[in-house]
Amino acid sequence: MKVPDKKGYFGEFGGRFIPETLFICLEELEKAYNLAKKDKNFKKELNYYLKEYASRPTPLYFAKNLSNFLKIKVYIKREDLLHTGAHKINNSLGQALLAKFMNKKRIIAETGAGQHGVSVATVARLFGFKCYVYMGQEDMKRQKMNVFRMKLLGAEVIPVKSGTKTLKDACNEAMRDWVSNVRTTYYLLGSTIGPHPYPVIVRDFQSIIGKEAKRQILEKEKRLPDYLIACVGGGSNSLGLFYPFFEDKNVKFIGVEAAGFGGLSASSLLKGKVGILHGAKSYVLQDRFGQIKNTHSVAAGLDYPGVGPEHSFYKEIKRATYVSINDKEAIEGFKMLSNLEGIIPALEPSHAIYYLKEIAKKDKGSLVILCLSGRGDKDLEIVQRYL
Amino acid sequence: MITLKEKFIQLKKENKKAFIAYIPFGFPDIKSFKKIILSLQEVGVDIVEVGLAFSDPIADGPIIQEAYNIALKNNANIEKFFSVIKNLNINIPIVLMSYYNPIFRFGLENFFKKLKEFNIGILIVDLPFDEDKRYLELAKKYNLETVFLITPTTTDYRAKKIIANTSGFVYYVSVTGITGPKRLKFSFLRKHINELRKFTDLPICVGFGIHNKKQVKEINKFSDGVIVGSSIVKFIKENFSKKNFIEKLKEYILNLKG
Repeated sequence: MKVPDKKGYFGEFGGRFIPETLFICLEELEKAYNLAKKDKNFKKELNYYLKEYASRPTPLYFAKNLSNFLKIKVYIKREDLLHTGAHKINNSLGQALLAKFMNKKRIIAETGAGQHGVSVATVARLFGFKCYVYMGQEDMKRQKMNVFRMKLLGAEVIPVKSGTKTLKDACNEAMRDWVSNVRTTYYLLGSTIGPHPYPVIVRDFQSIIGKEAKRQILEKEKRLPDYLIACVGGGSNSLGLFYPFFEDKNVKFIGVEAAGFGGLSASSLLKGKVGILHGAKSYVLQDRFGQIKNTHSVAAGLDYPGVGPEHSFYKEIKRATYVSINDKEAIEGFKMLSNLEGIIPALEPSHAIYYLKEIAKKDKGSLVILCLSGRGDKDLEIVQRYL
Repeated sequence: MITLKEKFIQLKKENKKAFIAYIPFGFPDIKSFKKIILSLQEVGVDIVEVGLAFSDPIADGPIIQEAYNIALKNNANIEKFFSVIKNLNINIPIVLMSYYNPIFRFGLENFFKKLKEFNIGILIVDLPFDEDKRYLELAKKYNLETVFLITPTTTDYRAKKIIANTSGFVYYVSVTGITGPKRLKFSFLRKHINELRKFTDLPICVGFGIHNKKQVKEINKFSDGVIVGSSIVKFIKENFSKKNFIEKLKEYILNLKG
């Protein structure tokens, strides 16, 4: 089955549930993206910046100490080594070039942990866009350094005070801005969420993670891995890793959601119901009247009540397995990687790191690729409180 | 309740324009909502658009966002809406305006059955007419009046298709933006409305941004009516705890209507 279909559906998930004003721009975006994708110069330019500016390809590092400790073979895809410190730059470079291709002058974005915001502020500086980043007030408090970084890079960070004051509300506010300034503005969405074609665009720009990993593991191990594992908030680093392996049926996908604490979870795929949020049909954490629930995770980047429609599709067709890890366990994962490998991870992928223990219990000796989506500098203050 | 179609026939006979007032269900509380909707009917509002609260209203500005938050705190959900409407003596048409998720969760067919029971029209802000086939199929099955938005960014090609699936009236959004008071360009609006007239005989009403008597008067020169939302919500917010609130609201509406 080819997914998504023409209307942007992955099985029953996805689509375009948006106010009428945005319809025409999503069509324009889709057309422009389809042209850009085939454009030699576009591809050349993107590859140039990915290599020279973002420092791709990232290593697929054999984590020897961790492997010895867990009795499985763990390779780490080092997206944390990228410029700006997370995988987000892959998508931001791609979409900024697309915005340039479309002749837009103003870029807006939403951000949770601030990693996406920082990467957008960075590329906006690089290519000379005006840049506005919407960020929940709550997130601004817990990610002060990233707010400062964005400001240094010349972006205007707009605090979002509505709703839960986190990523979901930043998305709402960015969409409101877009509805109001649609003709001049490019909305640079940071995850595989939102109305069609965003889930495809973001997934495609992030697929470089999986493409490189596949080539690298074949070089190093002469075989495909047994497992791919990554954290899932909106789903961009995980789909970036998973998608190029979609047809390799023996490679198991594990998506790790955030279980939060005390009953407040951010596990949309495990605890949510099918619904519509931010323009797409997918699994959504909601009450019985369809109101979106408050979420919590120690990792701001996973603190989101929805998930990309392609993940909902993978769940439905059982292509991927989804599990959840709570705040405490994520902190354990954080410590484990720091102690054993001298690599300080972001709290988001720390969820996936912890789950390696479970894989080790079930499937000793297996070959695993973990996507280390970002580095931990931004989270040190939070982790300090737990230690 | 009479239908939108019947209402517009009546208005045409009387050579009148429609004044459509928007109020969120359960704002400022459920009891006051009942009083408010009855008083709107009393002062001659032609149609009431009732907003069903959603936690993440991406097409709404701060005034309606805040009202929705309050409504949600008052547990103003779909079930309660129908039970309140059942016991109210409303004769003018109601259009229910909401976002898709609460309705999807409630179940589309159940929801439409309920709407039919009261002859209520429906407008879902984040559901393009061609996004969910079942929506139009079921609306037809239950013979419901479906309103869709047409905006300044809608192409002619698309406008024709939207109109083909519209009943009641065409809702023209005055601005490229979200709800809330705005300055409006009348010449621009006149041009767009006249262009739309080429495709349809349905009444065309203008909404979003309208907040004063002058705008109502100017827009009514070329439209079949106006929808006023945020400024009524703002008036309610600022006055509902005052003495004689209902009298004040009636005065305010009468003044706006002109």
